[in-house]
Amino acid sequence: MISATSASAPHDNLRPASEVMKLERLGSMFASRLSFVRSLMRKMIAESWQITNTVFDLDSKGHGLAIYRITTPGNYYECVIFSRDLEPEQRSDRVIAEAWDVTFALVEGEAESSLLEQMAANVPLQEAGRQHPRVLVLSRANRSLRNFSQFLAALSAGKQPDPGWLTAVGYLYRTTAVYGNGKFGIADFARLERNPDFNRPFAAQMLAVYVLRQFSVEQLNHLAKVQSPDRAVPLHPELQRYLGIGNSTGLGMAPFLIDHPQLIQQWVYGRERALAFARAEPANEQTHKALRSLMARALKHLQQTITEDEEQTLRNRETAKSVIEVIEWLDRTPAHQGLYKELISWAGNHCSLEAQELINTMLIELYPELVEPIDDELGCQESMDLKPDMKASKLRDLIHEKFDWALSYREDCPDDNYWFWYRSVEKEEPRLGIRGTESGAEKELALAVGPRISRCLTKLDEFLESNPNAIVVEFLLANPGQKECVRRIQTIGDTPYGEIRANLWHRDMKPMHLLRTKLSFFGASRFDPKSDRWVRITLFQGAPLPCELNDPRLPLHQLDDWGFPLEPGLESIVNDQKTLGGKL
Amino acid sequence: MKVSYNELQGLSRKAFIGIGFDDGDASDAADMVAWMEAHGLNGLAALGKGLDFLLNEDKSQPPKLIYQDADLCVVDAQNKTILGHASLAIELGYAKCRARGLSVTKIRHCHNRMLIVGYLSRIARRDMSVTAFWRNSHEPLTEILVSFKSGEAEPEICMYGLPSIPDDTEPNNGITLVMVNHVDLLPNLKPEAPANDLILQNRAAMLDWHERSLVDGIEVDTVLWERLKVLATKMLVEASDDSRQGAGAGTTDND
Repeated sequence: MISATSASAPHDNLRPASEVMKLERLGSMFASRLSFVRSLMRKMIAESWQITNTVFDLDSKGHGLAIYRITTPGNYYECVIFSRDLEPEQRSDRVIAEAWDVTFALVEGEAESSLLEQMAANVPLQEAGRQHPRVLVLSRANRSLRNFSQFLAALSAGKQPDPGWLTAVGYLYRTTAVYGNGKFGIADFARLERNPDFNRPFAAQMLAVYVLRQFSVEQLNHLAKVQSPDRAVPLHPELQRYLGIGNSTGLGMAPFLIDHPQLIQQWVYGRERALAFARAEPANEQTHKALRSLMARALKHLQQTITEDEEQTLRNRETAKSVIEVIEWLDRTPAHQGLYKELISWAGNHCSLEAQELINTMLIELYPELVEPIDDELGCQESMDLKPDMKASKLRDLIHEKFDWALSYREDCPDDNYWFWYRSVEKEEPRLGIRGTESGAEKELALAVGPRISRCLTKLDEFLESNPNAIVVEFLLANPGQKECVRRIQTIGDTPYGEIRANLWHRDMKPMHLLRTKLSFFGASRFDPKSDRWVRITLFQGAPLPCELNDPRLPLHQLDDWGFPLEPGLESIVNDQKTLGGKL
Repeated sequence: MKVSYNELQGLSRKAFIGIGFDDGDASDAADMVAWMEAHGLNGLAALGKGLDFLLNEDKSQPPKLIYQDADLCVVDAQNKTILGHASLAIELGYAKCRARGLSVTKIRHCHNRMLIVGYLSRIARRDMSVTAFWRNSHEPLTEILVSFKSGEAEPEICMYGLPSIPDDTEPNNGITLVMVNHVDLLPNLKPEAPANDLILQNRAAMLDWHERSLVDGIEVDTVLWERLKVLATKMLVEASDDSRQGAGAGTTDND
């Protein structure tokens, strides 16, 4: 694990933090080549990981136990999945739910009988259970009832389901939480960071989700066969590939983003370096053509993205409109040395933020050999330490220089203080309340970094008036409540990108941007907001199947090219099925 | 009951906030307790022992700076736990050492002194050698010496009983810290004979304990764990229909 990057790191050609770290721009990002699901898939392909089903003990309703073994070059793991009946009234996306269609866990090594017994008693309970320290990831998921029943009906009738159903809702199962890092007794990340299989951020969690995707296919095929042993057909591989896993998520993402500023800045720094590398490359005819082709695919993907949310629909339309203009621009601008810089500059004046970030995502896509070393640099050792001997006046200068965005906060302005963040007694779910209207503000979480820094500066100015030569620790002895804030200023002020630049109390703050920031790094697609603070997304849609990971006929670059997946044509699927007589 | 390191650190932090610590102190105190426990140094037992005291102390009073010059500082913790603002006294010593190469810090009138080891590990991580020394005033009289070498994650710890009790009427509840940033202090902690009840906790043993904590989890006392959970709930807000709306989700699946 590498140390957190300091401001002294080389940053020629990087975009400035004042541009990149604005919440609205972060909330306009797309999954990229560096996203964690893409990075994991590349690793699995490059190292020929094997994922095999070893136990498939499901009854006629699809309930029971399934175990998948994952073999890597140096280790093996098992993903243990419990499928149970779920009463309709218990079906909920919320973290406060207490029962799910499936619960599952990834364990280190083999889930031998004693461990399996312990897991059977605890994994289905999720947060209410005590999990074994060999469990690396704990999760649960609910079915998309509509897709599941439609797919089952089609396959049992010997037909392939309409791919359009997966375009509308891209999954059969939707996770509602994927826990790692010591939660409820499972293994700490400190144990994983020395493991080359999972030392990248969220790699173990993403693997568990990927295995669930395979289970969803095999459970569906099993149920179709049970319903109609003679007529049923298995799901076509094209549709298997187009099938992802959903995730429902809410404000729980926000505390993570704020509580791990070094990690977030590392992710952004990685992405921005990748962009800087790509942008500096001279375009040639081949890359010009590849960029155009990627933009055209993204356009189609966006046009195929369906959401009931009006605002997101408008954003998608606006982005699609901009992408058409980008394609037209590319068509009238031949390849030349400074093409990318010219395109970015043009897009800055003509395109929506989402379209601008889409262009950046595609530029990163063009240069795998330059970008992929960064896969291993997205984690970091997190530690925020004081610099107690810094002159207090220098701390004041640092705030003005690096945190000027925080100083627009007005203590007496109701809009600047509108929201407060807190955790509910219900499973400690993070929530937003309106200050002065809802109760609980006295227990608010310290997530609004901007106002904290602004208040800290007020105290620092007062202190410096009578102690102009003091050092930081002397300021803190007089103001001990500022320790955390000062430590953060000193640590994050020394990084290239630092903090997310927004007042999280402000009335106009959009929590959805926070959610999308994190989800884009995960590799989420099909953003489908269900409110201004709750979103459903899809992971692994378009990703290679487990059986393709070590198929020598399929080269890495071909398998890795699965971003912005498109709906497969129904005709080719039907023709395939006819040719093969239903045996796929 | 077994818990993970992250769970222990997380619950302790929430409990300290529930008790009334500022965010920074709560994080530091949780780190200190969890670090101690994961290294086999009974951080939770030390916390459990001082918890009642901790609940009743005034958290608003920072330590009082009694004296300082360029190399030396004396801080009065005012009969508070070392888990609170006392880390600032350590940071003051660190600042002086950075400026002068060596510093001496005396923290007077503090409780839960053993837990200071958890914070000193941070000082060592920041390229500073540090040795802490204190005496337990109750019988049998013991001296405790903790020494971190610069850059090393685990210290050497030595605790020994004294053969005779000095004629000392002053209450002895302070700690002396010596920090240096260019040389090692006390290459061998083992005191010259005679020494009674010697406990020498070496780095290898602590490292081994830490590894086992990561693999097997950390055993915690259920009663204390439940007590910490109750304290942690003080920072949670009661649920209501309004608050459920505040999470932004619906209550049923519809796809």
